[in-house]
Amino acid sequence: MIRRLGPLVLAAALVAGCSDSADPAKPVGDAEPGVLRVLAGSELADLQPVLDEAARATGVSVKFSYTGTIEGADSVARGAAESGFDAVWFSSNRYLELVPDAAKRLGTPTKIMSSPVVLGLPAAKVRELGWDGKRVGWADIAAAAGQRKFTYGMTDPSASNSGFSALVGVASALSGSGSALDAAKISAVSPQLKEFFSAQTLSAGSSGWLSEAFQRRARGEDPGAKVDGLINYESVLLSLNASLPEPLTLVYPSDGVVTADYPLTLLNSAGSPAREAHQKLSDHLRGPEVQQRIMETTRRRPAVPQVQLGPEFAVRDLVELPFPGSQSAVDGLVTTYFDQLRRPSRTLYVLDVSGSMAGDRIEGLRQAVTGLTGADDTLSGKFSRFHGREQVTLLPFNSAPQSATEFVIPADDPAPELARIKTLAGGLVDGGGTAIYASLQEGYAVLRKQSASDPDRFTSIVLMTDGDNTEGQDFDDFRSFHEGLPAAERGIPIFPVLFGESTVDEMEQVARMSGGKVFDARSRSLSAAFKEIRGYQ
Amino acid sequence: MKRTFGIALAVLLLAGVVTAIVLGRGTGDEPARLTTVRGVIGSEKLAFFADQRVKDVFARNGLKVEVDPAGSRQIATAVELDRYDFAFPSSAPAAERIQRDRKAARTYAPFSSPMVIATFDPIVELLTKAGVVRQGSGYQVFDVQKYLELAAAGTRWDQLPGNTAYPARKNLLVTTTDPRDSNSAAMYLAITSFVANGGVVTTPDAEAKVLPAVSKLFLDQGFTQSSSEGPFEDYLSAGMGKSPLVLVYEAQFVDRVVRADATIRPDMKLLYPAPTVLSKHTLVPLKETGDKVGQLLSTDPELGRLAATFGFRTSDPKHFNEIVRDKQVAVPQTIVDVVEPPAHETLERMLEAIAKQY
Repeated sequence: MIRRLGPLVLAAALVAGCSDSADPAKPVGDAEPGVLRVLAGSELADLQPVLDEAARATGVSVKFSYTGTIEGADSVARGAAESGFDAVWFSSNRYLELVPDAAKRLGTPTKIMSSPVVLGLPAAKVRELGWDGKRVGWADIAAAAGQRKFTYGMTDPSASNSGFSALVGVASALSGSGSALDAAKISAVSPQLKEFFSAQTLSAGSSGWLSEAFQRRARGEDPGAKVDGLINYESVLLSLNASLPEPLTLVYPSDGVVTADYPLTLLNSAGSPAREAHQKLSDHLRGPEVQQRIMETTRRRPAVPQVQLGPEFAVRDLVELPFPGSQSAVDGLVTTYFDQLRRPSRTLYVLDVSGSMAGDRIEGLRQAVTGLTGADDTLSGKFSRFHGREQVTLLPFNSAPQSATEFVIPADDPAPELARIKTLAGGLVDGGGTAIYASLQEGYAVLRKQSASDPDRFTSIVLMTDGDNTEGQDFDDFRSFHEGLPAAERGIPIFPVLFGESTVDEMEQVARMSGGKVFDARSRSLSAAFKEIRGYQ
Repeated sequence: MKRTFGIALAVLLLAGVVTAIVLGRGTGDEPARLTTVRGVIGSEKLAFFADQRVKDVFARNGLKVEVDPAGSRQIATAVELDRYDFAFPSSAPAAERIQRDRKAARTYAPFSSPMVIATFDPIVELLTKAGVVRQGSGYQVFDVQKYLELAAAGTRWDQLPGNTAYPARKNLLVTTTDPRDSNSAAMYLAITSFVANGGVVTTPDAEAKVLPAVSKLFLDQGFTQSSSEGPFEDYLSAGMGKSPLVLVYEAQFVDRVVRADATIRPDMKLLYPAPTVLSKHTLVPLKETGDKVGQLLSTDPELGRLAATFGFRTSDPKHFNEIVRDKQVAVPQTIVDVVEPPAHETLERMLEAIAKQY
């Protein structure tokens, strides 16, 4: 009798668990038996079919809430993750383990699958470069990139693990010492690293969006210039190849790669039911049959040796590059990347300060911009501040565009310039109407002037407005204006931020026609949205 | 009247049910007669204590053993030991510290496992040419002195002459765990500091002398994992590319061979460092009942046999040798050139000095 009750109680718990809790610290609800609440990297979403089967087989269902690697590390380190989650599941625990406050909260990790970060290029390009069937090292790749023999897309290292792994990989390999990186080694190879990053023409805050944008550009659906290749997980590139007219050839750098190993990791704070659930699920996921299924579904490599690698995994024995052993080395590398190595950005903020922004909204906007001047002291905030060499332009508008103010952040002493931005942001005052499209058009005039004297920058526009266009040109006018732009300007991505009473449909069209992406700040702070956009600039 | 009768009957019936349940439990598995003993143990022995056959032996002797896993070095310094009846760290220095702190009258060392290096045939061949590996009596020896010379020079794999098998552009280093929190990394330090010093490190002068060389062995690896399961799993699944040389407990490897789960491929080989140290799993009784666990582990032949199936070398070598023979595990019966680790305080001081350099 009692035994029969078990599944019933469980079923009831599952049904109850479907309604999400309103508590923001518990985005996937309270702890409950048979449910593992997991703070995870968004790329785990492709595992859902396997997890659905696992739930049927083990009675343990997984509830995901997605976040970036560094933001996740931040949440674990501050103890925030513990209040709403039983486990974390990112592409790697390496960064987490380097942050002492995060490391001490991590319990048993179980590696579920793996995927190295590699370069994908069209077969014709690989032949043209003379790399067919050859051993190609990171130094060869960096040299060819420096001569602009190919272009590529890569995710932002502070927002996404694939970009982060690529950065660590190329820096480790180029330093050539074969041991883990430190500041001296990084600065010794910075000329070569600059060459390597000079060919990066597409950035993104997530691996998924990167490969979508790449495909749209390849098919001509997106006005941006075509990008030759991608640096991404082997699994993403293999999946992408299934849908590309011309598949990419995967280049596995002979001197080594950095591999994601996806450890499903219990938090030390988890209660016994969650511990049991974690154990059950881990055991299930590591079973040879499930591992086989994971490999076929996600194109990631199995974590157990009993499963034979499929034929699509062309290179089997991958050399793993050493990873830095301290948080300061990693943080130093990421900071150097932003302030010195990457192609510098040109970022234009077209900001609504109309009358409807009065009160909390204008204050939220002030904070969002101020947050990017270094005021946000979280791990992720540190990396999302305006970077050295970046050209930032603030263009506030109401009934008409106001004057644009340009800032260039010096790499060596950024504080005074950042303080100027902070002052301007703090002085934003609400009032007047909303001339969205006239102001956006004015933005292009500003960018054109800037680019005439300094063309090689990673350029994008952030458009923040809280309502309907009330003055000047309307959306259709803007559409024809945009169609008439020269190709280079038409390809500048616009990142509209949904806020207040934004016209969702128009904002989505603006993003689509420019190859940008919409960010929603209606259910979270403007600061959070502005921070997320940093990954795409 | 009728009603009262009804209630009385119900009570009687209920009592009957309860009695049946109580009796049923009482005659079934007799949980009431077992004494629960709580221990804190090095995580390497978790599978052993979780094994039903092991539990059965303890139950036959009136004991129910409950264990919490913890890092051996944490057991010695950080764990609140009052809650436990015994501590069972994986190394002698940690046990020695606990015994002193808790004034335990005696300790038991029922099983041990030497530190070994798991590798692959092509690497063995390569390192034989480079003079780091040589044939010993019945097993292949990893010459720690030679290895330290190569490591001190910052030698990369692709710099080894005639290396076509593994021309990786990374340093020739044994993969270990994190010296900041793992016992196996401390055992590795025991080995390498012995060689760098020309004997067990016992003085602050000797510590200072060996630190630069031994620190480099850890720091140059960069990121290391915190538990010995991590690198061993990488060795099994990611293979030679990721981890050409991995420091493991011999028991980890033997356990896999005994399990016959197809994780050990024919090209996977063990090298025995010369010198090596034993990870001496040492039980320190904290209370009377804990002492009984120590006695049983040391004397019960069934427990000895079971420990051997998990790859541990038993105090009575018969058990381990039988398993090795039955399962045809390629490990030597006896290992010469085993040295003692430094005292607990010395080892900890050196580990702290290394941790500071990260």
